[in-house]
Amino acid sequence: MSAVKRKRYSKDIKCIFFPDDVQNGVKKLGREPSLSSTSAAKCWERCGDSFLAIKNLKSSGRKLSAVRKLAQSPASVLTNGDQCNEDPVHIAWSSSDSDQSDSDSQKQHPPRLVAQHQQRPQRPRRASAPIQSCSSALPMLSDDKEGVPVIDADSDLNDSEGEDEKDGWRQISDCESGSSDEKPKDLPPKPAHMTNVEISGYVSDGENADDTMTPSRLDTESFPQLTGEGSKRSVSDWVRFAQAMLQTPQKQLDRKPKTPEDSAKKRRKFQSGGLAERLNRLQCRQRSAISFWRHQSISDTSTAPVDRPGVLVLEVLEVQEECSMQLARCEHHQPPSTGHQHPHPLSAARACVLVLFSKETAAQLMPAPGDIIHIYQPWQSLSIEGDNCTIILNTHFSQKVYSASKLDNVSIPRAVLPAEKSLPYSLAKIFGLLEGYNITEEEEATAKQVSAPALFSLGAPGVMSRCRQSLLEAIESLGQAGSVGQDVEVVVQRVYSIPVSDSPAGSMLKPRVPSKPSSAHPVEKGKTRLCVLVQDGYGMFSVVQLPLLPCEDSLHHYSQKWQGKACLLRSIKVVQRVTRERCTRLFSLIDSLWPPVMPLRVHGNTPSSETRPPGPAPSFCYLLSGQESSVEPVEEQAVSPLYLPPTKQNLRDILQSDLKSHRCSFVATVIYKRMQSSDVGQSEVWLVLTDPSLQEEQLEGPRKRTVALCVSTSCVLTSSVVKALNSPAACRLSFRDAIKEHGVLLCVEQSVVQIHPVEAESSLESTDGPESPSQSLAKPQAQANALPQPVRLDPLGPETKSKSLCTLTGVIVGVDQNTAYSWPACNHCGSSRLEMSVQRPETFHCVSCNALVEKPSMKVQLEVFLSCSSLSNCTVKVKLQQNTIMSILNIAAFEGNEFPGYEVENVLGKEVGPLTVYVRVVTRKPALWIGLEEVCL
Amino acid sequence: MRSYLPVVAEQLFKDIQKTYQETSQIPDDLLIALKFVFGPSVLQALDLVDQRSVTCVSSPSGRKVFQVMGGSGRLYTCFMSCHYCPCPAFAYTVLLRNEGLLCKHILAAYLCQAMGVTQQESVSDQQMSMLLGGTPTEIKY
Repeated sequence: MSAVKRKRYSKDIKCIFFPDDVQNGVKKLGREPSLSSTSAAKCWERCGDSFLAIKNLKSSGRKLSAVRKLAQSPASVLTNGDQCNEDPVHIAWSSSDSDQSDSDSQKQHPPRLVAQHQQRPQRPRRASAPIQSCSSALPMLSDDKEGVPVIDADSDLNDSEGEDEKDGWRQISDCESGSSDEKPKDLPPKPAHMTNVEISGYVSDGENADDTMTPSRLDTESFPQLTGEGSKRSVSDWVRFAQAMLQTPQKQLDRKPKTPEDSAKKRRKFQSGGLAERLNRLQCRQRSAISFWRHQSISDTSTAPVDRPGVLVLEVLEVQEECSMQLARCEHHQPPSTGHQHPHPLSAARACVLVLFSKETAAQLMPAPGDIIHIYQPWQSLSIEGDNCTIILNTHFSQKVYSASKLDNVSIPRAVLPAEKSLPYSLAKIFGLLEGYNITEEEEATAKQVSAPALFSLGAPGVMSRCRQSLLEAIESLGQAGSVGQDVEVVVQRVYSIPVSDSPAGSMLKPRVPSKPSSAHPVEKGKTRLCVLVQDGYGMFSVVQLPLLPCEDSLHHYSQKWQGKACLLRSIKVVQRVTRERCTRLFSLIDSLWPPVMPLRVHGNTPSSETRPPGPAPSFCYLLSGQESSVEPVEEQAVSPLYLPPTKQNLRDILQSDLKSHRCSFVATVIYKRMQSSDVGQSEVWLVLTDPSLQEEQLEGPRKRTVALCVSTSCVLTSSVVKALNSPAACRLSFRDAIKEHGVLLCVEQSVVQIHPVEAESSLESTDGPESPSQSLAKPQAQANALPQPVRLDPLGPETKSKSLCTLTGVIVGVDQNTAYSWPACNHCGSSRLEMSVQRPETFHCVSCNALVEKPSMKVQLEVFLSCSSLSNCTVKVKLQQNTIMSILNIAAFEGNEFPGYEVENVLGKEVGPLTVYVRVVTRKPALWIGLEEVCL
Repeated sequence: MRSYLPVVAEQLFKDIQKTYQETSQIPDDLLIALKFVFGPSVLQALDLVDQRSVTCVSSPSGRKVFQVMGGSGRLYTCFMSCHYCPCPAFAYTVLLRNEGLLCKHILAAYLCQAMGVTQQESVSDQQMSMLLGGTPTEIKY
C-alpha cells in the first residue's frame, strides 16, 4: 500500500476516534469554544462545493507533501488513538464531516471500522471522504486491502496506462485533490511544523503536476516515522493547525469566482468622476453581463454554425499560460461570413490569431488544442505595432462548441494536459513608457498613417460616440449632477399630459388623496405637464417629463410631432427610478407595449448581430426631466419600427377580453355622464359608454350594452372635452390607454381622452389627433347615428353593477314615504327657489329667473320599491322622474297651490316601465339591494 | 510560443498615451482592456492615478525613481529601468507566483506616464542615493 494513501487514511481516521460522537458531532464542537459550529459547517459546505468544482484538479507533488505533513498529525493521534478526544482539529473536522457524511459513510462502515481498526485504523475514515468528494475513488479505497492502485473508469486521472506506478499515485493524489480541498492544498514543500505563517502563504492552485513521483517516494520513506513522531505534537500546534485549516476553505471560496472580480465587492470609495469610478461601474456592468451570458449559454448549448458577424469561430492550436491567463494560438475555423459591418482587423486574411483568456474564462473553457471555440461580442482585438499580430482580449463571452478530447476514446481530463506555462517575463524589460517615453515625431507620423487605433473593440460600450442607443447606459454613465450628457436614441411610444398639482415633478407618483379631490384640482388651474414615454432599442422605458403645456390642447400637437418617431433625447436629467410596485399605473401602460414589435438588442452586442426574444417586461424605469427641446425627432416623417401604436378596439372586444387588467384604446359614445359636482373636471367623472359593437341587434351571451368609465382626477380632460361633456348632446370621444379593471374602464394618468373626429369614423385605425373641437362638435349627432335610437340597454339583473345604465320594468310594491315630498317650482325655469310675493301672497317670485310665478308647478319626489320578474329576492328601489310620477299618480298636472296628496294604496301594484335607470348602489349582502335612479338619456 | 502578455501591456499603454494625448480621456474600451489584462489591480491603480499619487523623483545626476503613495499613505519607491516595487503584492503576485505582470503601484506609474500626470519632484543626489539604497524614507538634512 502506498504511503500516501495510508497517510491520507491516517488523517482521515480522526473520525473514528469518537465513534460514539459521530451522531452528534456538532455537540462535540460545542465543547470547543474556539471553533464555531457554523463556521465549521460553512467550511464544509465550501469544501463540498469545491469537490464538485475542482474535480479536474491535478495532483501535485507539492500537494502530496503537504498532505504528508497534514497526515502526520492525525497519524500521531492515531497511535494514541482514543485518548485524543479533545483534539480540536479532530473535533472540528469530524464534526463537520459528520454534517455531511455520517449518514452514509459512518453508518455504512462501522463494522469495517472495527475490523480494520487494529491493522489499518485509518482506512475506514478514508472511505467516508470519497463518498462525498469523489465517489469514483471509493471502491478503490475501501475495498482493496492491499492498497493496489485501481484504475477507475470514471476517474479523472486516467493518465497514461503505461505508467502503473504513477497511476497509483495519481489516483491517490487525485482523490486527495478532491478531498484535500478541505485543507491547504499547497503548503510549502517542506514544512516541518504547521505554522500559521506557512499556511497563510497558501494561495496555490496546486497546478504543478510535473513531479508526482518524487514527493510520493518521500512520503513512502517518511511514513514509518510519522506515526511515532507525530504523536509528540502538542495540542497547541493542533489548535493552530485547526484554525488554519478552517481558514483555508474560506480563502478558497474567495478564489472561486463565479463571475470575474468578486473582489470588487470590496466597496471602495473612488474619487468621484475619476477613472477608477468609471472602471468600477463598467466592471459592475460587465460582471452582470457575464453572469447573464453564462446563464444563457448554459441553457443554450446549441452548436449551430454561427455565421453572424462579430462571432469569432476559432480552432485552438496551442495554449500557454501566462501570468494566470491563458494565451491560445488559434486559427479561424471558418472564415466569418461576409456582411461584416466593421472592417475589423481580422477580416484580413490572417489565419492565425492569439486569444487571451482570463483565469476565470480559461477555467470554464479549458481550451486545448483542437477545440473549437466561439467568442461572442464584445471582444476586443489589439494589434501590436510592429509585430503584425493581433491579440483578442476581453473574451468573456466564449464558448467551447467542440472539444477535441471528447472524441478520443481516452477521456483525457483537461487538467492532465495543462497549458504550458511561459517563463516569467524579464523584469528588466519595461513596457516602454517609464523612462520618459514620448511619442517621437516619426512614430507620430506612422501613428497617423495607421488611423485605426490599435485597440479595436467590437460591440464594446462605445463612449466615443456621443449618441447612445441605450437609456440604461446613458443613465448609468451620468455624472454626479444627475444630468445625462449624451444623446440617447429612443422611440416615443406615447405622449400624454398629467395634471400639475402644487408639488413639483414627481408628484404623479404620489397617490392622490381621495378625500379632498376638489381642493386643488389641477384642471382648475388648467396646468398640465407634457410627458413622453420613450423606449430604447434594448426595450428599456423611461418617462420624460417636459415643461408645462402652454395650452392644454397643444397635447395634440406634440402627439403628432413625436409619437411613434425615433427621437434623440438630449440634456435630460434623472428624476427618479421607479419600480413596478411603486408605479403600477405606469407599468400597466408599459405592459401594454410589451412585448415589443421588433426584436430587441442585447446589451453588449452590436445591433445587427444578436437579438433575443423578449423576456418579461421591465420591472423598473426612470423618470427623466427635460425641456421641450430635449426631444427631437431624428426623422420628421418616418415612424419607428419599434413604435407600437395603440390598437383601437371596439368595446365588445374589450369587455370580452379575459385579461385581468390592461390598457385599451377605443372610441365610444357617451350616453350618460354622472358628475359629483356640477363642473366636469372637479372630481371623478363617471361616464356610461356604448359603441355600435355593443348595440348590435343580437348579442350572444351575457354581454353588456353599455360600460361605465371613470375619469379619475389624475387624467387630464381638456377644455374641449369638458365642453363636449357638458353639452346635452351625446358626444363621441376617443379614449387612449384607458385601463380596464374589474369590468370597469378607468382613465388615469397616462390615458388620453379626446374628441373623436368625424373623419375617423369610417375606420378604426389609430389616428391620434382629433380635429379641432369645433369641427367635431359640429356633427356629434351624425356619429351617434351609428347607434340605434334609443340606445339599447341591459335589463336590470342580479349581475348589474353600480354606475351602469339599465332598463327596468316592475310592479310597485312599496313607497318610501320618508323621502316622498312635493314642492312648488317655477313654471318658467323649473327652479325651486321661489319666494312668497310680498304684494300678492298667492303668487311667488322666482329668484332664479326673476319672474313672477303665478301658478308654480308642483314637483314631487317619489321613491318606490319595485318587484321585478327578472329579479327575485331582491329589493329594488327607484327614484322616479317627474313624468313617471305623474303617470303613476294619475295626475295630469299639479295645478294650483294645493297638492291633493295621494294614497299609497293607489300606487301599489301599478306597473312601471320600461324605465331607463342609473344604478346608484348595489348591495349584495345581506341580500341583494339595488338603488336606482330613473334617468333621461 | 513566446510570451505575449508584456507586448500586450506595452501596446495598451501606448494606446492610452495616444488616445489621452488626443482626447484627454481614456475611453471605456481601453479601461476594459486594461482590466482584462491586469486584473483587479487596475482599479486600485486607477484610483492612485485619480489621486495623482505617482511622483517622479529626479536628482541632478539624472537618476530618477517613481514614488507612489499607496492607499495607506506609505511611499513605494519603484524603479524606472526595471520592474520593481517593494510592496508585498509585487513580491507575492509578480515575483513568487508569477500571476500578474505588475503591481498596482507600477501600473499606476505607467498610467500616469501615459497620461502625463506624473508629479515631478527634484531631490539632491544624496537623497537620491539614499532612496535607491533602500534607506527608509525619512531623509532629513
